[in-house]
Amino acid sequence: MGQRVGPKTGKAGAALSLALLVLCGPVQASSDAKASPKGDAAFGEYLSGTCVTCHQVSGKSAGGIPPIVAWPEDQFIAVMNAYRSKDRENQVMRTIAAALNDEEIAALAAYFGGLILQPDTKK
Amino acid sequence: MINRRHLLAGAGAVTAAAGLGMPVVKAQAKPRVVVIGGGPGGATAAKYIAKDSQGAIDVVLVEPRETFVTCFHSNLYLGGFKNFDEITHRYDKLSSAYGIRHVRQWANAIDRDKREVVLGDGSRIGYDRLVVSPGIDLRYDSVPGWGKEHEETMPHAWLAGPQTQLLRKQLDGVKDGGVIVMIAPPNPYRCPPGPYERVSMMAHQLKTTSRTKAKIIVLDPKETFSKQGLFQQGWERHYPGMVEWLGPKVHDGIKSVDPRTMTVTTGFETYKDCALVNVIPAQRAGKIAVDAGLANASGFCPINPESMASTQDPNIYVLGDASIAGDMPKSGFSANSQAKVAAMMIRGDLVKARTFPARYANTCWSLIAPDDTVKVGGRYEPKPDKITASETFVSKTDETADYRKQVQAENMGWYDGIIADMFS
Repeated sequence: MGQRVGPKTGKAGAALSLALLVLCGPVQASSDAKASPKGDAAFGEYLSGTCVTCHQVSGKSAGGIPPIVAWPEDQFIAVMNAYRSKDRENQVMRTIAAALNDEEIAALAAYFGGLILQPDTKK
Repeated sequence: MINRRHLLAGAGAVTAAAGLGMPVVKAQAKPRVVVIGGGPGGATAAKYIAKDSQGAIDVVLVEPRETFVTCFHSNLYLGGFKNFDEITHRYDKLSSAYGIRHVRQWANAIDRDKREVVLGDGSRIGYDRLVVSPGIDLRYDSVPGWGKEHEETMPHAWLAGPQTQLLRKQLDGVKDGGVIVMIAPPNPYRCPPGPYERVSMMAHQLKTTSRTKAKIIVLDPKETFSKQGLFQQGWERHYPGMVEWLGPKVHDGIKSVDPRTMTVTTGFETYKDCALVNVIPAQRAGKIAVDAGLANASGFCPINPESMASTQDPNIYVLGDASIAGDMPKSGFSANSQAKVAAMMIRGDLVKARTFPARYANTCWSLIAPDDTVKVGGRYEPKPDKITASETFVSKTDETADYRKQVQAENMGWYDGIIADMFS
């Protein structure tokens, strides 16, 4: 399991992101998330170019943009699936997720899941 | 790969980047990419090429300034939501973390035959591939009576920096009851919702300082504008009676401006003794791109939708506002997205890195009033004729206050994100 970030570890900076993250609470907790084969992290790094315009690769949380580094891969996949199926609210994320297939989401999950939350982001 | 061009370029670069300790005659065994312009296109491209090639490509950023002031969120400075330092960023880390040579000079010309960039001091720097990301130039002849010599009197503030501060200073000097005229630009231009976010931020600044009798008249050469319904609803809601938007059928054309008397004359009306006139003129690609023959008759540069390579020269990539990016708007987000595609393609080209089909994205957030933010955006893909929108979205007029507040939090977080992506 990767280190869980966000509401549990964040402080003031993460407060606003809570609104976004709590929406995925039930999704995170669901046990029916499909077990996926390990994604191709190198492919994920390429795909991540779109993500890191908003989500900081250091794992730092800013404003309403939650950190997405070091999540458990199954959680990352479940959240992205929820955007792709338009079950979860957010126009930007729905639009981005709609273009991703299972392999690409798994690749992103592997890439971001393998990153380490940088110490200076935990202030 | 060792040739005269590289040797000569190495010498020039060392002179310019004084003290980086490179030998004057360094055998350039590796390919070199020169990037002109340190904005969201150029800084992002330089960083990604250097970072992902891990030293296999020599990256040189030609950018005269030590710091970059973002056009995006400069309206938030006008509105008092950010201070100037918060929209000003240093280039240091691009050198210290990624080994990019920052050459603090203007790029004066591109010698495409020799594959060299001519710098401000006359020296030349050779390239294997060139990234041209100069942003826009203003067409100073597009508004009758107004020119470069009048930009201190009637600022454009469409190139962020001292002009932005000047506009804020002039705004602070507007008395209650004063008339502000904004002349909006014709398409295509940098940041489609930008003029209207600016109107919102000026109105906010006036409102919070008890100058609600001041009025902002927007004279627009366009029949419609980005997020029009959202902005007009917001102006009604937050700034009743303070903003008047007039399309071309209503004002019947901007006939002339007179900076001496602060007068703006349209087909129907003359606005005399204006307290502030913000002239946002027509635009084209940065001069260096036009001079190098990279632009077409539109004044902007056609590109290959799959790579951002210039259709005029396969060794040159044009990014951001200077490019004709199909359905993508001219925005910092777009430039950043395009830069990543170009960086990947250049690495594939020069060092045989893996490449994937291009994907592009954009979102533009606009602040209308405190915690009332709207957004427009989309996903784009290359088609043979142009970069084409595959899915787009825009905020709706019936969104709740809580939702709009959340969108503003997103806006602030995105800003920190793209700055980290460009400069850290």
